[in-house]
Amino acid sequence: MSLIEIQNLSKYFKVLNRREGLRGAFLDLFSGDYRTVKAVDDISFSIDEGEIVGYIGPNGAGKSTTIKMMTGILQPTSGKIEVNQLEPYSNRIANARRMGVVFGQRTQLWWDLPVIESFKILKEIYEVDNETFKQQMGLFEDLIEIKKLYPVQVRTLSLGQRMLCDIAAAFLHNPKVVFLDEPTIGLDVSVKAKIRDVIRELNHTQNITIILTTHDLGDIEALCQRIIIIDKGKILFDGPVQRVNQLFGVYRTLKAQIFDFNQETLPRLNALIQTKFPDPDAVHINQSEDFWTDLIINQEKAPLREVLNLIMSEFALEDIRIVEISMENVVQRIYDGALL
Amino acid sequence: MKRLRHYFRLYFLIEAQYIKSKMQYRDDFFISSIGMFFSSLTTIAVFWVLLASIPDLAGWSFNQLVFIYAFYMLAISPFQILFDHFWQLRFHVIEGTFIKYYFRPLNMLFYYLSEMFDIKGVVQLVLGIAMFIYASIKLQVSWNLPLLLLLAATLFSASLVTISIMMIAASSAFWIFNSWPVLDLARRLREFSPYPMTIFDGFFKILFTYIIPIGFVAFYPSQFFLGSQSISTAVYLSPLIGIGTFALAYWIWLKGVNSYTGTGS
Repeated sequence: MSLIEIQNLSKYFKVLNRREGLRGAFLDLFSGDYRTVKAVDDISFSIDEGEIVGYIGPNGAGKSTTIKMMTGILQPTSGKIEVNQLEPYSNRIANARRMGVVFGQRTQLWWDLPVIESFKILKEIYEVDNETFKQQMGLFEDLIEIKKLYPVQVRTLSLGQRMLCDIAAAFLHNPKVVFLDEPTIGLDVSVKAKIRDVIRELNHTQNITIILTTHDLGDIEALCQRIIIIDKGKILFDGPVQRVNQLFGVYRTLKAQIFDFNQETLPRLNALIQTKFPDPDAVHINQSEDFWTDLIINQEKAPLREVLNLIMSEFALEDIRIVEISMENVVQRIYDGALL
Repeated sequence: MKRLRHYFRLYFLIEAQYIKSKMQYRDDFFISSIGMFFSSLTTIAVFWVLLASIPDLAGWSFNQLVFIYAFYMLAISPFQILFDHFWQLRFHVIEGTFIKYYFRPLNMLFYYLSEMFDIKGVVQLVLGIAMFIYASIKLQVSWNLPLLLLLAATLFSASLVTISIMMIAASSAFWIFNSWPVLDLARRLREFSPYPMTIFDGFFKILFTYIIPIGFVAFYPSQFFLGSQSISTAVYLSPLIGIGTFALAYWIWLKGVNSYTGTGS
């Protein structure tokens, strides 16, 4: 029996078509001109107990709308959604009892209270018995050394410490499922690693299902067995993370600032790349921000070092950066047929 | 019943912690308490001076007006002390922080309100009690058990009326981007409630009795205790009107909560 069951789920929003300018704003007051935005458009999937699923996609793809439906905040426009065999929107309280949520940067602990008092209040809210409470707190003490944070007011914790406490709090009452929304955003590498360890450990020891939304492909690589990629309200990919890793692990984006950039630079660069790497999938060139040219490089077909050497032989570079492929690029590559 | 006990325990646990943490900022606690004391005192003083210079207002004596004012102070205290978080609702709604109140297995109104407790309101309550006792003695109200029960019922109802009006105003944040004017208007209207409704002419009397029932915050319910000769039918409604307005306010709150979609993350 699966823990989360979603069938043909949709959520539409009615949005007013706004006109420009002051006159337009005035006319809008009396306008009945709505359009329908399909935030989530006929998606289906099911998630089993104990899975860690990465639910990812670019901004505005419909991720948080789906999460909000799974947590009982939003009522679906159509389709079926069941978490623990309950319809979340009409059973919000019963559903909340068996779920934990961490929402990025917004803490759910009591801002003015010391950490330990927040946990005591949570114990009361979820009616956790003393035995379980002691056992869980012991686990957190081992995993994240939460003990030394007990007397500290939540407002004075560092972002990383607060995130760890929030994650621990979400697991306190032994939920069936935990939703983690951008748990590592804005944190430095060592804290990120720690958070990933903790999440993996809690999933492993307590068999708690985890739905993770993130922009950080590192989180996904470290934690997920399965990912679901959503864009424009539709599911683009649902399957084992290895397949995506195989494909996108080899991509790097080379960002270059070319000296004396003018109209001819891009055509020249394109021509140069094409003579050396004729395969169309080897290197993609985008003019992204001002002054920066992005080259998305498939390292299996065009080694990064060779591409760099090639460019430097013809162009003077002011600055370069090499970054992992971004979520937006992953989605774009899937549209281009990378997973077919 | 078990649910109710659970909520009470929880409320005391959270509030005890909250007060403890506030007390840690000792200077803030003392200064704001003293501030509240003097601000309440000056409001009373202005009212006092105003009334003392008018021998009677539409047939109401000075002590009767003090009684009505004291009733008003008692009736608004529960809102001041327990419902203080409503003033922040519009920020939570706009910034998207309101979303966290959906995640706990608790009634959302309870969870939302439990996060704030205005200790300073207690100062106002104490002043209100003192004034109420003073006016009762001066008016020689002969308190007996039925009258005390009636007082409890009318105060409860009057508190619900203030709470409901402010709750509806605060809930407008779910539909209006800048809901401050609505909240401010409700607060200003509430300030009319310690005056005898008989001083208002037709339009305002109907407005304050039937539409925004602030007449039920102090004036109508105090009639039971002032031994007035002509009691209007509105007075007999006052022990009940609170429940009706609160039902409406709670319905509007639920509508807002259920239609909230949050902000993007």
